Amino acid sequence: MLYVQLIADGVVTGCAIGLVAVSFAYFYATTGIFHVAHAGIYTLCGYIAWYLTGLGIPFILALIASILCGALVGMFVQVTLYQTLENKGASPLVKLIASIGVLTTLQNIVAIFFTPNIVQFDLPWRLNSLTIGGVWFSVPQILILLSSVGLFAAVVLFSKYSKLGKRIRAVASNPGLAEITHLNPQRVFVYVIAISSGLVAVPGVLVGVDQALQPYTSLIILLTAVIAMIAGGIGSLGGAFVMSIVLAVIQSLSVAFVSGRWSIAVVFAIFVLFILIRPEGLVRRKFSRAI
Amino acid sequence: MTLEARNLVAGYGDKSILEKVSFNLADGEILAFFGHNGAGKSTTLKAVLGLLPAKEGQILLDGERIEHLTVSARLKRGLRLLPEGKGVFPDLNVQDSIEIVSQSNRDPNGAKISADDVYDLLPVLRDRRKTIAGEMSGGQQQMLAFGLALLGSPKCVLLEEPSVGLQPDLVEELFGKMSDICKKLSISAILVEHKIASAMKIADHVMIINSGKLVFNGSKAEAEQINLWNYF
Repeated sequence: MLYVQLIADGVVTGCAIGLVAVSFAYFYATTGIFHVAHAGIYTLCGYIAWYLTGLGIPFILALIASILCGALVGMFVQVTLYQTLENKGASPLVKLIASIGVLTTLQNIVAIFFTPNIVQFDLPWRLNSLTIGGVWFSVPQILILLSSVGLFAAVVLFSKYSKLGKRIRAVASNPGLAEITHLNPQRVFVYVIAISSGLVAVPGVLVGVDQALQPYTSLIILLTAVIAMIAGGIGSLGGAFVMSIVLAVIQSLSVAFVSGRWSIAVVFAIFVLFILIRPEGLVRRKFSRAI
Repeated sequence: MTLEARNLVAGYGDKSILEKVSFNLADGEILAFFGHNGAGKSTTLKAVLGLLPAKEGQILLDGERIEHLTVSARLKRGLRLLPEGKGVFPDLNVQDSIEIVSQSNRDPNGAKISADDVYDLLPVLRDRRKTIAGEMSGGQQQMLAFGLALLGSPKCVLLEEPSVGLQPDLVEELFGKMSDICKKLSISAILVEHKIASAMKIADHVMIINSGKLVFNGSKAEAEQINLWNYF
């Protein structure tokens, strides 16, 4: 039963990381920008929801507000930073360094304006739980599971069937042609970062409700998500989501065999092995930036 | 007159590639543009569309100076480019590609060429509506690329090596289609091409560039009287 519980915990964690990976991959595949500041938006959104619930605002409204704030901050970063750097002909490395700067700034803003300490949501229901087939789930875990799967499916359907989703895929698959066919890639990038940042707010808040919030821990979550994105096949949203769950389950199960402090090392070691064996990732894509 | 360039100078960074290039192109006319690699053919097309700034000279579309306009503004005025080897969205199917480009090139006065028109002009695309563009043959991809360049209200299409990678019979078919459509809809075209014999069949006017300078600019009849290779 221990293993089943560990697998269930891993699936829940993997779903949360999966949504981080999918939202990161969606922006990266479209723009080619390694948006490390995504982790900062994840953190910021968690704290915004925590602050608003502390003011007595209902949780669902706090969650919606944090999604909107995440989207706005993402759009601000795109318009003021990435677009400016693009206009100046900056290389991907320069954009990455700028993104790291934004991440650090956001983390410090959170620490200064909220608190640098570990905080928990003051929500009585977060301690409720239910048992399904002998496996224990907290209410926040169930919310993470349902929202992650639902939002992942929504992103895939949006990308495949909506007009904007198709336009985003077009820009991702041939940015040069998108420019000369009037698809306006720069505007599309703003839409994509708004979607990605809004999406990452959900695990940012729900993981905070389930566990706790701390300003500087989101980078390791993003790193795991990026590993999942690469291992899943860059450009494949499904690959990123599935690999996030696989990695989280392995990490969760590893504590049954090795000390917990080794669990992250296990994930990274598996990633290195995976890349050596299958460098193209789990899902082989014909086009490097297709989504 | 659809498109005119007067003493156009353009290049990359501080280096000028084009040296006072001048030409004009009438409605529905096809201008075959020849030259060896690096002579300045693609640079000319990029400068006309605004992908490269014009350092000197003027570019006029239907009498309006456009050299100071953005790429987007030039697209709105009816300039189109079919880029060499990269004219389709490889991850999208034919229908989605045509649909999104058609939407983004809507003309408030009514588009001259709609998505349905493209299917009528290029029936092979109708048969391949659900096929992913990147999985089509080279000839079909070029048909799609040409179809995408036609959507909206084009006045002048800049065709950059559309025959690259195609078998000779497909080149003839593609060029035949392009010529028929340009004549039928009064769309002028600049055809940058290495397959000189095929391009000459549909050209009205011929231009040869060598090291950034136009060394021949005349009608098809004039071009047929001379040995074009002497100008390379």
